Amino acid sequence: MSDHKIVVTVNGRRQEAWVEARTLLVTFVRETLELTGTHIGCVIGECGACSLLVNGELVKSCLMLAMQADGAEITTIEGLERDAKLHPVQEAFVRELGGQCGFCTPGMVMASVYLLRQDNNPSEETIRRRLSGNLCMCTGYVQIVKSVQAAAEMLREQDQ
Amino acid sequence: MKKQPGTEAYRFLGQDVRSKELPRHVSGRGRFVDDNQTRGMAFAAILRSPYPHARIRSVDASRAAAAPGVLAVLTPDEIRRSTQPFKMGRYAAGLPVQISEYAMAVDKVRYVGEPVAAVVAIDAMKAEDALELIDVDYEPLDSVVDPLEAMRPNSALVFDECGSNVVVNRALMFGDVDAALREADVIVRGDYRVHRYSSTALEPFACMASFDPTAGELTVLCNAQIPEVIHDGLKETLGIAAIRVIIADIGGAFGQKIHLIRKYVVITGLLARKCGRPVKWVEDRAEHMMAGGHSCGQIFKVEAGVRKDGTVLGIRIAEIDDVGGAVSTASIHFTNKLSALVNTYRVKNVALEGKSVVTNKCPVVPNRAIGKPALIFVWERMIDRIAEKLGLDPLAVRSINCIRKEEFPYLTPSGNMYDSGDYQRLLDTAAKEFGFAQLRKMQTEALQAGRYLGIGLAMAIEPGGRNAARDMSIAKERAVGAAGGINGATVRIERDGTVTIVLSTPNAGQAHETTACQVAAEVLDISPEFIRIAGPVFDSAVSAWGVASANSGQNFHLYDLGAVQGACQKLREKLLTLSSAIVGRPAESILVKDGTVWSREPREALISVGEVAKLSYSNQTVVPDGLEPGLQATFFYRFPHDVPFILPDENGRVQGQFTFAAGVHSAFVEVDIETGHVKVLRYLIVSDCGTIINPKVVDGMMYGAAAHGISAALGEGHVYDASGQLMTTTFTAYGKPTTQDSPHIEIIHEPCPSPFSVFGQKAAGDGAAIPAPAAIASAVENALKPFGVSVHELPLGPEAVLMLLDKARQKGAASVS
Repeated sequence: MSDHKIVVTVNGRRQEAWVEARTLLVTFVRETLELTGTHIGCVIGECGACSLLVNGELVKSCLMLAMQADGAEITTIEGLERDAKLHPVQEAFVRELGGQCGFCTPGMVMASVYLLRQDNNPSEETIRRRLSGNLCMCTGYVQIVKSVQAAAEMLREQDQ
Repeated sequence: MKKQPGTEAYRFLGQDVRSKELPRHVSGRGRFVDDNQTRGMAFAAILRSPYPHARIRSVDASRAAAAPGVLAVLTPDEIRRSTQPFKMGRYAAGLPVQISEYAMAVDKVRYVGEPVAAVVAIDAMKAEDALELIDVDYEPLDSVVDPLEAMRPNSALVFDECGSNVVVNRALMFGDVDAALREADVIVRGDYRVHRYSSTALEPFACMASFDPTAGELTVLCNAQIPEVIHDGLKETLGIAAIRVIIADIGGAFGQKIHLIRKYVVITGLLARKCGRPVKWVEDRAEHMMAGGHSCGQIFKVEAGVRKDGTVLGIRIAEIDDVGGAVSTASIHFTNKLSALVNTYRVKNVALEGKSVVTNKCPVVPNRAIGKPALIFVWERMIDRIAEKLGLDPLAVRSINCIRKEEFPYLTPSGNMYDSGDYQRLLDTAAKEFGFAQLRKMQTEALQAGRYLGIGLAMAIEPGGRNAARDMSIAKERAVGAAGGINGATVRIERDGTVTIVLSTPNAGQAHETTACQVAAEVLDISPEFIRIAGPVFDSAVSAWGVASANSGQNFHLYDLGAVQGACQKLREKLLTLSSAIVGRPAESILVKDGTVWSREPREALISVGEVAKLSYSNQTVVPDGLEPGLQATFFYRFPHDVPFILPDENGRVQGQFTFAAGVHSAFVEVDIETGHVKVLRYLIVSDCGTIINPKVVDGMMYGAAAHGISAALGEGHVYDASGQLMTTTFTAYGKPTTQDSPHIEIIHEPCPSPFSVFGQKAAGDGAAIPAPAAIASAVENALKPFGVSVHELPLGPEAVLMLLDKARQKGAASVS
């Protein structure tokens, strides 16, 4: 198994590392970078618990090799806060109880951040379509949808 | 402590207090097992059976042991040599023979995915690589998949020691069902089936173990729901002198993480002891689907004797439980029904007969309300059938059978003491708010346009706070190791006046931390922002032992909150006594609120609680004689209303649980008769879960549970092929619903506080999973009424719906010709 050197910018910080060719991006983020907020629920791209942003695009990091992220800018759940303050999407998930056990929550938040960057006034139907790659076993999604709606409102107010 | 709603408002109870758990989860600071790393840590991987049923001739792990990075291996021989089997507990009540169940298969494998060997290596990939080097010589045996075939005399045996695949056979009768059937105007019969599904927690099982040979202490950090099961399992199997169990965040549990997980904690612990390093093991998704535990496939034969007006005089429910390839949970799907046997109804004569049948499938576990969704499916299908047969309104049949509100507390024929309820009000609210009359009009109009809409209704109780002695109602030995429920909590006022709570129950997503803080805030009259939960949430080194309740029978609302309330009450009284001594005023003339001790008249601040606390820990001269210094209190709560049947009587009458929430679910669906797809257009829950502590938390629990019940009804589930291979090892194959499949759900609360619990609270967790499958079945049947379809089986995935339509059309064609 060959090792490869990669350079990534994670949450604004440049990092260099040697990775085994078969290392998944999610494993690299969790084990090498020790950013454990990105979770593993299935490792085959079904559940979305490992969602993060690679060059601004939403990615399930279990479906990408660490090597493939060479040169990329990565944002993980740990990179959303500013000045020890939660991002509006994070805050909305707290207020509206958009999570229960918390295992899917980071992935849900990342998928919602990505959605709201493109559309800050999504309909319920749009929210449900755009979050359909992220599974949650606890909530029945009702309060997740409400959280995204609340986040959208907060972001719209912020933009004004 | 209990206040009448509307007379004196609570300060914090009933408020949407900010979540204590979510800030860490939304920011990626959760504390799940796999997020931990320690120096020198090694990684375990488990080899699992590819066969549903096979004899293990030999296991040779020598090549794996010699592989690079491998530290140790475990084989069945060693398991047999160096561990003891688990003791059969109350989940196997009534089992006639003792079966040795070890942490891994030792003689035979009995389901695909059963652990056969394990490896520990310096990294996870090396451990997995080494699994391929283990040589297992299997002798495949005929597999037993269909429980009905398993019951035939010539069937292969899953457990040779039992002499039959029917491992538990039991019958309980309360009242006289035969007499009731004789007196009845009409006998209504039905055959029903409910499939295997599970809650598929997003975080699979995980464990870290480290062993200190000098102290003889094994420390495990795992995501089990019930620490006592882990503690006792380790003690029984490994005989280790000192065991410490730590449980931090759990990524969903739903009953799934109570029982089978103990095997893996034992394996991880054993590997840690063997290799002398901390060991981590994390299950993967396919492993969890194969071997993490399923709900029980249940087959029912039911007969009810009914009067012309719809009154049910007696009912006999006979079930066959497909319990899979282990006996240690053989009885739970039977005994758990005792908590809900008569549902919300006044029927006096009830019989429950059951056979637990072992098969070569994954063992069953206490999944989200354990057997009650199936029981209520049967009850509610029967009520609809009775209405149909007698030409009555299904709502009216429910009304006439419901226990009346003036009858509470109500003793059910099987010994439950229902605490409170107004079931008619739930039905009335549902009828009004769901607008049945209007929906029927819509339905008729749609039918003319070739669309098939259906209205469904189901009601159920949600029992809460389990009685450990319940299971013994079917055991020959009536001596009980456990009865009722006890749980403890410790509350401490810190040196700065803030409050810390040590819970004895882990948190698997039910907001235990938020809710416990709210209760403490109420009693201590201080804002919840100054209250924290000591983490990790459970640590046997500091937490109290008791009936831990991360979703187990919804114990938390009763036992843990009772314990937190009790500890805070003690602390409050002590704080007053101590403050009174310190400020030199009579206790009656002062009060404590918001971290300050005040004089009552005139209201002025005397001293901060922080100052009092500091003194209580550092200056014994201010502590009055006879008063123990310090501001820390532990309280063990016990259920106060334990008569008359906390222990089963000779007829098997027993209080299964102690609080009884209830709900009416209404579903409005559209069935596409071309594709068989069912779309839920509207779903309403009218609920009584007593005093609500945190509305958003309670709603969240109900949304999730209902969504799971709806999804299970509409096709989510496990499927085995004829040879016993599991076909549903991924979320997609299993049919887990996404945001697009799960409907919006509405909730209306009609609380009827419990007279038994400290604040009038009742269970609010799994409850909505109980009637949801029945409500969906009722709605689908109603939509397909023009075809004469009747629904007796779950799930109702598209294929099943099309088959129902085909069958009905053939029947229709046959009757025409």
